Amino acid sequence: MAGPYSLRARLAMFVLAHRGLSYLLFALITAFFAAGLPKVKLQTIFSDLLPTDDPFVQVFRDHPNFGSPLTMMVMIRRTDVAPGSADARPTIYNAETLAKVWQMTRDIDLAPGVDHDQILSITTEKARYSEATPGGIDMRPLMSDHPPTTPEELADFRLHVDRAPKVREFLISRDDSAAIVMATFIEERVDYGTAFEHVQKLVEAARDAHHEVHLTGQPVLFGWVYRYVWQMLGIFAVTMVLFVAALALYMRNVVGVLTPIITSTVAGIWAFGLVGWLDISIEPLLMVVPLLLTARSFSHSVQFTERYYEVYAQLGGQPEHRRKAAELTMSVMLAPSVLGILTDILGIVVVMAAPIPAMVRHAIFCGMWAVWLIPTGVVLISLLLATLPPPKNVERLIGRDRQHSGGVHRRLQALLAGIAAQVTGRAAMRTTAVVVLASVAIVATASRIRIGNPVEGTNLLWDHSEFNAAVRAINANFPGVNTLEIVLEAKDPTRPDWTGQRVDTILTEIRLQSLLEHGEAPPRATLAFADYLSEASRLFNGGNPKWLPLDARERAISAAAVGAMMGSSSKNFGHVVDSGLQHSTVSLWYPDNKQETVNAALKAAGKAVADVGVDHPEFTVRLGTGTIALQEAVNRVVERYHVLVVLAVNLMIFVLCSLAYRSMVAGVLLIIPVNLANEALIAAMHLLGVGLDVNSMIVAAIGVGVGIDYGIYLMSRICEELQARGGHSDRDWQAAITAALQTTGKAITFTATIMALGIAPWYLMSGLKFVADMGLLLIAIMAINMVLSLVVLPLLVWWVKPRFALRHNALLGESVEIPAAS
Amino acid sequence: MKLIRYDRGYSRRKFLQDAATGVLSTGVLAPLAEVMAATGDVSKAYPDELLSIENYTKGRIKTGDMIDASNVEAVKDLIEPVRYEQILKQGRKQKIVKTTTDIMRLSPWEYVEATLRNSGKAGFDARGNVINKADGGPWIGGNPFPDPKTGVELFAAQTLNWGRHDASFYAMKLATTDSDGGERFNYSGGWAEMSPVARVSMEPKPYWPAHKDKLRFQSVFFLTPQAFRGTSFLNIWDYDHSTFPQLYGYVPEFRRVRQFPTNQRFEPLVPGLTLYLSDAWAAGDPLYTWGNYKIVGRGPFLAGLSDSWNYADDNWEHTTHGGKKGKSFWDSTVQLVPEAIIVEAEPTGFPRAPISKKRVWFDARNQVVIGMVTFDRNGKPFRSFDGAYSLYEGGGKAVMDGKHPYWSWAHVTSSDIQSNSVTRIQQVRAVEGQHMSGANDPKMYDKYLTQSALQRLGAS
Repeated sequence: MAGPYSLRARLAMFVLAHRGLSYLLFALITAFFAAGLPKVKLQTIFSDLLPTDDPFVQVFRDHPNFGSPLTMMVMIRRTDVAPGSADARPTIYNAETLAKVWQMTRDIDLAPGVDHDQILSITTEKARYSEATPGGIDMRPLMSDHPPTTPEELADFRLHVDRAPKVREFLISRDDSAAIVMATFIEERVDYGTAFEHVQKLVEAARDAHHEVHLTGQPVLFGWVYRYVWQMLGIFAVTMVLFVAALALYMRNVVGVLTPIITSTVAGIWAFGLVGWLDISIEPLLMVVPLLLTARSFSHSVQFTERYYEVYAQLGGQPEHRRKAAELTMSVMLAPSVLGILTDILGIVVVMAAPIPAMVRHAIFCGMWAVWLIPTGVVLISLLLATLPPPKNVERLIGRDRQHSGGVHRRLQALLAGIAAQVTGRAAMRTTAVVVLASVAIVATASRIRIGNPVEGTNLLWDHSEFNAAVRAINANFPGVNTLEIVLEAKDPTRPDWTGQRVDTILTEIRLQSLLEHGEAPPRATLAFADYLSEASRLFNGGNPKWLPLDARERAISAAAVGAMMGSSSKNFGHVVDSGLQHSTVSLWYPDNKQETVNAALKAAGKAVADVGVDHPEFTVRLGTGTIALQEAVNRVVERYHVLVVLAVNLMIFVLCSLAYRSMVAGVLLIIPVNLANEALIAAMHLLGVGLDVNSMIVAAIGVGVGIDYGIYLMSRICEELQARGGHSDRDWQAAITAALQTTGKAITFTATIMALGIAPWYLMSGLKFVADMGLLLIAIMAINMVLSLVVLPLLVWWVKPRFALRHNALLGESVEIPAAS
Repeated sequence: MKLIRYDRGYSRRKFLQDAATGVLSTGVLAPLAEVMAATGDVSKAYPDELLSIENYTKGRIKTGDMIDASNVEAVKDLIEPVRYEQILKQGRKQKIVKTTTDIMRLSPWEYVEATLRNSGKAGFDARGNVINKADGGPWIGGNPFPDPKTGVELFAAQTLNWGRHDASFYAMKLATTDSDGGERFNYSGGWAEMSPVARVSMEPKPYWPAHKDKLRFQSVFFLTPQAFRGTSFLNIWDYDHSTFPQLYGYVPEFRRVRQFPTNQRFEPLVPGLTLYLSDAWAAGDPLYTWGNYKIVGRGPFLAGLSDSWNYADDNWEHTTHGGKKGKSFWDSTVQLVPEAIIVEAEPTGFPRAPISKKRVWFDARNQVVIGMVTFDRNGKPFRSFDGAYSLYEGGGKAVMDGKHPYWSWAHVTSSDIQSNSVTRIQQVRAVEGQHMSGANDPKMYDKYLTQSALQRLGAS
């Protein structure tokens, strides 16, 4: 029983007695945060999705330009044999295809933010062939000043390609059917969204019945994500419409609809405004979580409002009872609401334990959003309920008016009564057996989950997305995008004679390449600055392949470097040596990024690095960066933190619940269903062939934090019902559980439904697999949590019959002594 | 008190009026060419407001002031867009000095004399090559079009002779800074150029008969960094203004000459430089590999044409400022150029060029290039090339070129405004004490401009 002089009662009385002042305070705070809204940045910083403490990520951060992160790749592939072609299979050696490659190369130079010096294809002057002449070496572009059109020009071009050994690996596919156009962008100038839209238009225009055209590369991925960020706004609008519709259907009165909208909007303004003032960017890929919070805010408001209706009805149901009803409701709902929200906050912020910058920012944004649900969802809502016109359908809403009570409400209550019958009395034994067996099966299945969720391309987008299809197509025809980079990091990056072209550097690169190419799990291709030097050496020595091996003298290596670079920009070698010619990399291409391939590649690379030695006088060999290493880094962070995050949130919630109920038994009873729900989700993921990734880590933490609410609501209600009945007999326990399920169980069902409703569009409509996956996982965990809290928790209470349930709980008790109706 | 007869609006109206009628008639108060021929001074061709920065800016900026981010708005119309951005955002500064009016101080003495002497004798043949109208042979010396009427005339004169000497050797040092302001590349070496035609100082004049069919021999070699020591390039230009020059590269270790694609002009000679072959002196390519030359504007401008030689340093080396580390730009001086002629041209002979056009500012007094900006194919500023020239006298010292003080460029700033890298090039007295800057030395050809010379340099 909440005493009239308890702190929360006094607070409620004060707020409701000073409504003008309270509204003014809310208005001022809201205005302050609203002023921060224009500063809000919705931005994906991709590198911030990586764990900062991982050695691979540190190599990536130190050498962000290796692995061509700013390069777009367009592949133009002939799909049929061109008319008049002498080839029996499709090749690019026809006027139409080569003209397409030429035009694409010219048009991509118009992309905003492109580095005009870093556009490469078989049509650019940078793609050269060479021939030894009596006086020296003559180097010429593969293609003259126009794309070849006549049979003679086509034959000449083909001959030139034959004389340019690396071209047929990196610019023309080995089967001659496809050509690549590469364009690198200037980081400070590129707007990924506009650059992508520009090139995507070119790609779409270039496609026809005879040509496949694919576009990939990091800037393209960013472009797709940005495009879907706009899509998210549309989904957001759909979600809001669904929320309001659900509310309208459930409440069927103005107050019931307006109150959650106003409180949720104010909480949203505070949350966005705060990050605006803090100058923290919001990660759109994690927008599902704020949506979940909005859903939580809605459902919380619904529960609060329903309780208000009960009190209002008890007081007499007249307009003059509004203030008193609001005051009493606030007084009784304050503690359970705060506890429920605190567990949400814990579930959201605990992911900060993982050293992923985007997660930390996200935790601040969403954690504070959850904090704002306390003043808005407890205080502001009370003010609104005391002010807005009272509803006319109170009796119906609280289920007293059975005649007019909605069919849904009645059916739901019948269903919940059925569940109560299964978890109490004689049926409890049978249900328990089923639950225990299912739990064993779930835990056993969940334990077989693997870490990592590799897809060919990116798991941000769907497997069937245009981007991932492009990655697959390019991987099938060229060395592709699955790279591992072993970086040779200069100890003195200002060295005037350039560490990147010193003998030890070049010989180490060659040795690494040789060890890996001839070792276990060899890459499908390797490339290092040393390759360009070998080719320059061959050419300057007359063209004979016997000159490919480099002379291991400092002067000879330097000369080869000069020979390779004279008459060109150092940017042309930016993929293998940095722009200052100090740090260099050995690039290794692998056929796919399946975990087995990643493991084998890293094992072989680690061994090769150990063989050549990490520490050299002028440089350090660092493994590594590239997509293979970064995928492993993400897997490792999931492996390291998944269990830790779940344990941490468990521990904190156990402590919180034990304190709230003043019983450790309560803590144990409450965390069992949520952890079982987590295990059930992991088991389901395993059965569906999905591995644990960053998504599942976030979902697991939120699953415990938000899922525990159901248990708290239900447990509190069971306690109250029990205390009202005395709790002396099994019959009392059975009746209490049944009553709790029929009242709070109904609210829980509504809460879970509204959250599923809010998140479902994100799964169904999002072009971003990352967002959709997180949406699906959240819906799943919330649904499983709902079922388990409605089944497992009452079952546990039935068997344990804890003593704390019989004690009056001053903190969480929701019973209220209603003054006599006036 | 001195009354200003012609206000700022008068000059502007005159420039606009001429532009509207499509007439290029240099000079505002009187025809410039006539004034210069008569007096050797440009003062009478321009009103005071075009000869003094104080008058032009109505006292907001004075001679001796430093142009920087705080006052660049006052001279925004007098500089290229790239220089404006560098001053405004990257800490570039330039000191204002007095406008030079004596034309003998704006080019080598002999070149000016030949220009005056040969005025009116030049024309174009059927292929568009500049000829001496009297005999149809190659040009005979000095500026062929001292009173230019078209853009192509200005470019023809510039392409004919970059350095305005019959032969030049520039000991030079180069450095490139990246967008972070740090120096990435440092080179030192030498640049040699010699004209076998249109000679005004060196015998035989006006042609070297054996090479009458050539426009220029030009080489560049590097001494540092060690990796590039002895690496060199040799360009041999045909007199025909449409023919690409031959370009050879030499690496001493291989003892082999490598021939480069002749039309690959949009790459630097060596890595790290923000300077395409095409960018050199705004006319790095043969005249007719570009087209659609047209005069797009006239007006005053700020450029370095005097006081640019650093007499205080024994090796003439310049100091730097600006950028994030104080190394991006030369400490430099500029003067108010009373009249610049702005010409645009398009790379019609380069179907793969990454640029759409170049815009070049010529000083109407001596027709030297005082600024260039190239634009990418989206029409956005891409690269710029701005140099500083000077008579090498000052502080009681002088470097002599025959009977007169040496006139040459002192330093160049070549920028890529999109990637924010800047290459600074300076002419120094000597590199390694043995390759000395200077002009018209007859030994230059054998020393620097043949393939065997390159091989000798590589062996040293």
